[in-house]
Amino acid sequence: MTQNEKQIRDLLDGTLPWSQLHQAMSAYKESGRFQTYVRILQERMSWPERILLPLTDRLYIVEKDGHAAVKCDCGHEFGDYRENWKLSALIRVRRSEDELREIYGPFACHPDWMELREFLCPGCGALLEVDAAVPGYPVTFDFLPDLTTFYRDWLHEPAPTWLEGQPAPSSKAWASR
Amino acid sequence: MSILDSTRFVVGTTAKEALELSEQTTAHGGPYYGIDTLSAREADPLRYESLHTQLRSAVVAARETARRISASPAIREQGEFVVALYTLAGDAIVLSTGIMVHVETVSRFIKWMIRNDYEASPGVNAGDIFGNNDSFIGDVQPADMMDVVPVHWGGHLIGWIGAVSHVLDVGGVEPGGEVAIIGDRYGEGMFVTGEKIGSNDDLHRDYLIRCERNVRVPIYWILDEKAKVSACLDVRDKVLEIIGKVGIDYYLTATHEFIEENRRGQLARVRSMLVPGHYRGVTHYSSLYEGAVGVQRGAAVDLLYAIPLEMTVDETGKICLDFDGMAESGPHTSNCTVAAMDGGLFITLTQMMGFDGKVNHGAKLATELVLPESSLVNVVDETSATSTSWGVLIPAFSLFQRLLSRGFFARGFLEEVFLGGSATPFMEGGGISQYGSQFGAGHFECASCGSGARALLDGIDVGYAGWNPEGDMGAAEVWEMEFPLLYLGRRTFIDSGGAGRFRGGVTFASIWKVHNSNDVTLSSKEHSGRVFDQAGIFGGYPAPTAHRHVAVRRTDLDQRVANNEPIPHSMSSDGEHIDVLQLLKGEVEVAEGQYASAPFSEGDIYTHAYGSGGGYGDPLDRDPERVAADVSNGMVSARAARQTYGVVLTGDRANPEATEELRDSMRRARLADAVPTQDWLASERARVLASDFAAPVKTMYRSSMTMSPAFAAEFRWFWGLDETWEIAR
Repeated sequence: MTQNEKQIRDLLDGTLPWSQLHQAMSAYKESGRFQTYVRILQERMSWPERILLPLTDRLYIVEKDGHAAVKCDCGHEFGDYRENWKLSALIRVRRSEDELREIYGPFACHPDWMELREFLCPGCGALLEVDAAVPGYPVTFDFLPDLTTFYRDWLHEPAPTWLEGQPAPSSKAWASR
Repeated sequence: MSILDSTRFVVGTTAKEALELSEQTTAHGGPYYGIDTLSAREADPLRYESLHTQLRSAVVAARETARRISASPAIREQGEFVVALYTLAGDAIVLSTGIMVHVETVSRFIKWMIRNDYEASPGVNAGDIFGNNDSFIGDVQPADMMDVVPVHWGGHLIGWIGAVSHVLDVGGVEPGGEVAIIGDRYGEGMFVTGEKIGSNDDLHRDYLIRCERNVRVPIYWILDEKAKVSACLDVRDKVLEIIGKVGIDYYLTATHEFIEENRRGQLARVRSMLVPGHYRGVTHYSSLYEGAVGVQRGAAVDLLYAIPLEMTVDETGKICLDFDGMAESGPHTSNCTVAAMDGGLFITLTQMMGFDGKVNHGAKLATELVLPESSLVNVVDETSATSTSWGVLIPAFSLFQRLLSRGFFARGFLEEVFLGGSATPFMEGGGISQYGSQFGAGHFECASCGSGARALLDGIDVGYAGWNPEGDMGAAEVWEMEFPLLYLGRRTFIDSGGAGRFRGGVTFASIWKVHNSNDVTLSSKEHSGRVFDQAGIFGGYPAPTAHRHVAVRRTDLDQRVANNEPIPHSMSSDGEHIDVLQLLKGEVEVAEGQYASAPFSEGDIYTHAYGSGGGYGDPLDRDPERVAADVSNGMVSARAARQTYGVVLTGDRANPEATEELRDSMRRARLADAVPTQDWLASERARVLASDFAAPVKTMYRSSMTMSPAFAAEFRWFWGLDETWEIAR
């Protein structure tokens, strides 16, 4: 294991000493970080699908039967990455004074003005995102990466061939999926 | 004459010609002035870097020197000050540390003077000083006073130097720099609207008299002005000395290459640290003024805004921030000009991505802002007020930090994930000082709030403000000299960091006793009101709102002291109760949101809480020992340790077995309470159809849907509504 790989493993485990972490913050960013990062993450998963991109600390875009899907580290699959995974999750909404006070004591939002939407993984129950939203606000689609450009033009790496034929996501249209 | 004579920049070009050419070449994302080769860099990298270092040192040293001779505690204690060097066209070449938001606002001011033919009238001569605090000319808010001096070489204008400070009082209808009780600009205070305020390296006497007679504490304004002018002259002299050594041709070529290099560097940095695609988020801001003391009719309303942001990273590495869906600007003081948004983008980008190499206007050229006209983030009615625009800028650009963090995380740069900004509620006051004189000032201890969490660390405790990365609250004793207020406490604010595996940084709250004055008006502004404005990420919770203000008039404090009874020192000791309300008797005043008080008297008590940032990750995954340590240190309450983090404490340590048991039961309980999102949406649709929302929520949707057909279409699509559906009044 190279020093760089050990550092990234420690970074992922949260065990990198502060002096090295601080140094990593200040240093130039190495070009191979993504590949090492994904390789280490891949080793740690119990499932075989190739990780194309980590989305959150629990969710990954993976290659699955000729398309890209969102998958939790527990193995639960949410569907195509171009769909908002939150719409296939479980939700618990805090919208009463008592529910908000449980977290915030006297310093909560006003329940008529804002609610907390807690999105949970149906597979493992992990809390994946907490959205603070005005009642009625459409559920936010956080991130739709342009995988084709990323692999082909930025990483200069072989990407799944099916990605090549996929048009780059265009602004606005994606949010309405 | 063109500024570019085939291969070199030419002395004698007018600023207008230089600006037009600069804008022509960069209009479609092209290289700055069409510079395709960094010839000076390639020819002699050491000479090139040496020049950059010398210029950067000049602006940093000038800022540090000048702030030591300035009287205002905002500059001296908080470093509310920035100095930058500009090209002839008004583009930043190098900048100091400090309130870098103004590097771009000064640029706007310089360009405004150029476009308005200032070279012809009033003339731009060596030794002139120009001043501005008009947001529509180039500023964030009237409290930001900027001074600009031209740089001449051989009788020709070749560049500019600008310095900005946040002044403590502007002479508006409300004491302090950020008037918030008005509905238009007539009352914001003294305006200096892009004027020549000095010549022969000295401020005009009539300008100084005007300042003396129009702001409440002229000594601060005038000495801050002298600090800014000193800094500009210091830089100018050094720049001229440097040009004398390197030659004007080399100076012009290299300084323009610095900007092109930074433009390329920013694009390259994006390609190496982010992932192309679309990132989305929404945050919120509310302003509560219905029924508040002294508020102008028209401004006395409760407002709610959603601030939606879509960040697109294209294949070249360009970042585009699109605020489509933003509601309209209005008769209040939180409107943002384009200059303010430019500034917010620049200071955020500088902190998040521009921390190495060269930092200048080039980074701005590698980004794009889409700001819907007449919206809150692009106010065009120039009679509008802008004095509390930071109330919107902070949530808007901390959302940008959150979106960037998603990209850093995806790319594997966990050490760069930073949820950034926190609401920094601003307390200001005025009336009669403890010395018997008139006073009016902003209290800048807010420059040291809690930040949002990081992917590997908690947020910064009591040490962050997005608008001034130096994060210094100043000595309590200094503030006690400036305000007729004595601290009963200035302590960490329990449970104020957004909960998460890594929590948001804890902020603080102050409790003051009015001292030696019977006429002290206090106000608080620029905080999130009834909504959270600092969200978490990956299961982390938003930071709480810092929107409750508690004052107690005619208290029993002296009696309690005489009896050796406890008195309040913090906002809340247990995360459930407000200490002042528990420990003092008197006339209690609890206010929400923006606050403007009736005058206080000797002995009255006022509390003020500051903001913090969101958490990272599921709080049930937080190391229980970290939670226990937080409880011991007064950062997290025992209530939150149990209810939010699922940690059972035995003494001052976490009980591992009991904690695991509690966490298991909490995980089961939240799953039992949860429903499929699709089921929830189906039931929620009925509420939307009935427009069953509070009045400010309905107003917000109506405004956003009117302003943005795209948002309206998406809203209707999302809820499966007819194309003609409108929200009910």
